[in-house]
Amino acid sequence: MVREFKLPDVGEGVAEGEIVAWLVETGDTVEEDQPVAEVETDKAVVDVPSPVNGTVQEIRAEEGEMVPVGDVIITFAVEGEDETDATGQEESTETRTDTATETDADGAEGEAAQAGAEAGQGGEVSTADGRVFAAPSARRLAREQGIDIATVEGSGPGGRVSEHDVRAAAEGGASEAGEAAEDDGTGGEEVTSAVSDVSDEAGTTAESGGAAGGGAGQASAPSAADRDRTLAAPATRRLAEEAGVDIDHVPTDEERDGEAFVSPAAVEAYAEAQQEAQAADTAAIAAGESGAGAQEERIPYRGVRRTIGQQMEASKFTAPHVTHHDEVDVTELVETRGELKEVAAERGISLSYMPFVMKACVAALREFPMVNAMLDEESEEIVQKKYYNVGVAAATDAGLMVPVVGDAGNKTLLQLASEMNELVEKARERSISREEMQGGTFTITNVGAIGGEYATPIVNHPEVAILALGAIKEKPRVVDGEVVPRHVMTVSLSFDHRVLDGAIAAQFTNKVEEYLEHPNRLLLE
Amino acid sequence: MVVGDVTTGTDVLIIGAGPGGYVAAIRAGQLDLDVTLVEKDAYGGTCLNHGCIPSKALISATDVAHDASEAEAMGIHADPAVDLSAMVGWKDEIVDQLTSGVEKLCKANGVNLVEGRAEFAGENTVRVAHSGDGQGSESIDFEHAIVATGSRPIEVPNFEFDGEHVISSRDALALDTVPESLVVVGAGYIGMELSTVFAKLGTDVTIVEMLDSALPAYEDDVARVVKSRAEELGIDFHFGEAASEWEESGDGITVRTENEDGDVSEFGAEKALVAVGREPVTDTLNLDAVGLEPGEGGFLDTDDRARTDIEHVFAVGDVAGEPMLAHKGMKEGEVAAEVIAGEPAALDYQSVPAAVFTDPEIGTVGMTEAEAKEAGFSPVVGEMPMQASGRALTLGETEGFVRVVADDDAGFILGAQIVAPEASEMIAEFGLAIEMGATLEDIAATIHTHPTLGEAVMEAVENARGKAIHTLNR
Repeated sequence: MVREFKLPDVGEGVAEGEIVAWLVETGDTVEEDQPVAEVETDKAVVDVPSPVNGTVQEIRAEEGEMVPVGDVIITFAVEGEDETDATGQEESTETRTDTATETDADGAEGEAAQAGAEAGQGGEVSTADGRVFAAPSARRLAREQGIDIATVEGSGPGGRVSEHDVRAAAEGGASEAGEAAEDDGTGGEEVTSAVSDVSDEAGTTAESGGAAGGGAGQASAPSAADRDRTLAAPATRRLAEEAGVDIDHVPTDEERDGEAFVSPAAVEAYAEAQQEAQAADTAAIAAGESGAGAQEERIPYRGVRRTIGQQMEASKFTAPHVTHHDEVDVTELVETRGELKEVAAERGISLSYMPFVMKACVAALREFPMVNAMLDEESEEIVQKKYYNVGVAAATDAGLMVPVVGDAGNKTLLQLASEMNELVEKARERSISREEMQGGTFTITNVGAIGGEYATPIVNHPEVAILALGAIKEKPRVVDGEVVPRHVMTVSLSFDHRVLDGAIAAQFTNKVEEYLEHPNRLLLE
Repeated sequence: MVVGDVTTGTDVLIIGAGPGGYVAAIRAGQLDLDVTLVEKDAYGGTCLNHGCIPSKALISATDVAHDASEAEAMGIHADPAVDLSAMVGWKDEIVDQLTSGVEKLCKANGVNLVEGRAEFAGENTVRVAHSGDGQGSESIDFEHAIVATGSRPIEVPNFEFDGEHVISSRDALALDTVPESLVVVGAGYIGMELSTVFAKLGTDVTIVEMLDSALPAYEDDVARVVKSRAEELGIDFHFGEAASEWEESGDGITVRTENEDGDVSEFGAEKALVAVGREPVTDTLNLDAVGLEPGEGGFLDTDDRARTDIEHVFAVGDVAGEPMLAHKGMKEGEVAAEVIAGEPAALDYQSVPAAVFTDPEIGTVGMTEAEAKEAGFSPVVGEMPMQASGRALTLGETEGFVRVVADDDAGFILGAQIVAPEASEMIAEFGLAIEMGATLEDIAATIHTHPTLGEAVMEAVENARGKAIHTLNR
């Protein structure tokens, strides 16, 4: 008998799709689940699998044609199948090709969600019933971040999704986040910010994974995809997913219509080879000192390191960060500091550039009080501080610490220098008290001390801005129409976009620069 | 608008002060929304006034009497006398305390309370008719509405509730004398709970049920434990019989039933208690005016944010569909309020626990083994019979079991069925496990207090892992 096959709903809310290519011709024998066509929608290119074992009888749509969902695109001749059975199977196929991106609380859409993974939605997690195992706190975070938790790959036992996984997905899963944020007014801004912070590599991988209809669940292994596109039956993709291999990495000699085609056997062979390699690695590590030596060392994530990490995480995922970069000609500052250094040394104080920068920042903060503020999230108030406690980030053996020089607005250059030196020394010796690192209203970090031009510092939450200094380098600059060597320093101001806008950030930075370019103006401060 | 009608405005208008409605009101108040809560009857809705709380009060009280009279094995000889009127009075005090508590909490959270029957008068307006002659009505404009009108007992044809011969569960909880005999129509959870109460008070209880088993919503072995205990209490079951009509006879009534083949049976009793289920109250709301139409069974369809088809109208609790359970309604109320306040809330819970206060109690959550298979998991099952529980022995209540269903691959807890004393309390641990995505190992590695019934949870989990200590592993 003849089986008509309608273009299934290949994606959420998709009304039509373009037949990119037919993978079969009239008269071809097809097996169930064998891809017969590639269909492109505005969201993805997906393989459309045959619902039956049979022979292609008629192809009713041209390549390149836009076909509305529900139109018959191909018919199959199937032997010995009765009418009822045929209908049932077709419905089931339609469901399985459906791209579900949301988990249904009742589990009724479970099959669809699972099929979504088969159909090649990047990063989709597949469990029976489409169930996602995650704690309510992780679910809430996902909603806040505008992420469909069904698309988050879990790193916990058995694939349980943790808050950490959701955060990682917020950084990497830009495309899903954008969609999900549409009906969620509250998460919009945060999501936008998260998207803007996505690294190019991760973003591209996630998108190409979806567009190629492959790489399900492989968003975490972005490096060096062998192919951009791989043809394979959904069952093969599923197999690859279960084996934890990226189908684009699986070697194959087979081709269909000029595209690489991967068979189940190839996936199995590749997965086996991978496992052997892993086992070899494990053995090598186990061999320890006697062997070629361990290639990895595991250091507990504890203490200061973890505190720093938690602080960074809290800041990064609470405050939408934007960084403003600029450079400043500090030739005069270099001269001034050179002169004053001697005087300071006579008084037993080492005078670095930092006190000048602190002084310049305080002066600029006075002019732009919004930068010397914090956001009281609980009471929904912006708190402008009328005092100036400047934190100075210091690299120590234990990790990053931020001693705070209190009341910097009322201190002289030398006082600032001596106090800061003392605090930094205490931080390095780990003798600094907790109180001495609290109460900051603004933070400066000197990344240039070690090297580098620009950075994206993380705001020292709940402050609203942080200034990173690059190295002072001699660079050619045009002064009065002539190229001359000048001392140039780069500055990067990261700020909490909830409180500050780019314009204020730029104006504040300009003001800091003005003082650093003309340090004698600091005499008035 | 009616002349003299006063229109006021509110951010959130909530119709019905049951568990769904009052929780929504309090949470919305906490979120600084201007909230108006309309209730036609009593704060607390069915749950506090005519359902959960009064029935559990009477169940506890009758248990005290019954357990004392049955404690000879423990060396206690007692013959308690029950004054039902006093017992009901005690129950009413509890109800009063709770309903006035709800009222106070609402007020403390800035909720405007309005008494009367609300119906929609437009897309953003309800009219509230105040009860009593000449009390008039008022119109209230709203930005958002939450429908929380709950449910009412279903009547069986020819068995209209008259409060005297044919009574509803609500009437049964307010009786002031113990009926000598009772025909209970329906062996669902309400019928079974109330039958147990009256059997323990000495009533001669006969249950007629159209289907062929008691507690048809539960697995056979779960229902079997409860049914066999009910039979021990003297309850007489008649399955496959539908109540067709009744008539007065002598001091009481005669209830006629018909089976599939048309054979008629007669049961004499003082009263008939009809407990065949509940239906949502959506027909009194003039839903047309707001553009809503109830779906199948009279329920309002809602999405995962408790929102109906109309953007600014939400529905929570029994009107929003099965399961008709107070705790489900409470969670929906919270979510609706938070969504209205712009928070990213959603109904993404993985399971709704359920409890039946029979003897022994039933507590269930998540999937049964069959449902887990159906959903595509390969389930592994562990059981702990209460006979092996030290604490159950010391309570003299050893019927039942704790059963856990988990995914064999990753060990995630998928569901649990408990028939045991305090099953309603014990089930909470499994609810948490499911929500947390906890595995068998997680529960097994958690030390449980000894000697408690809760240990049976740990033992069932260990049984599923083939590592049970106190029972033979399957």
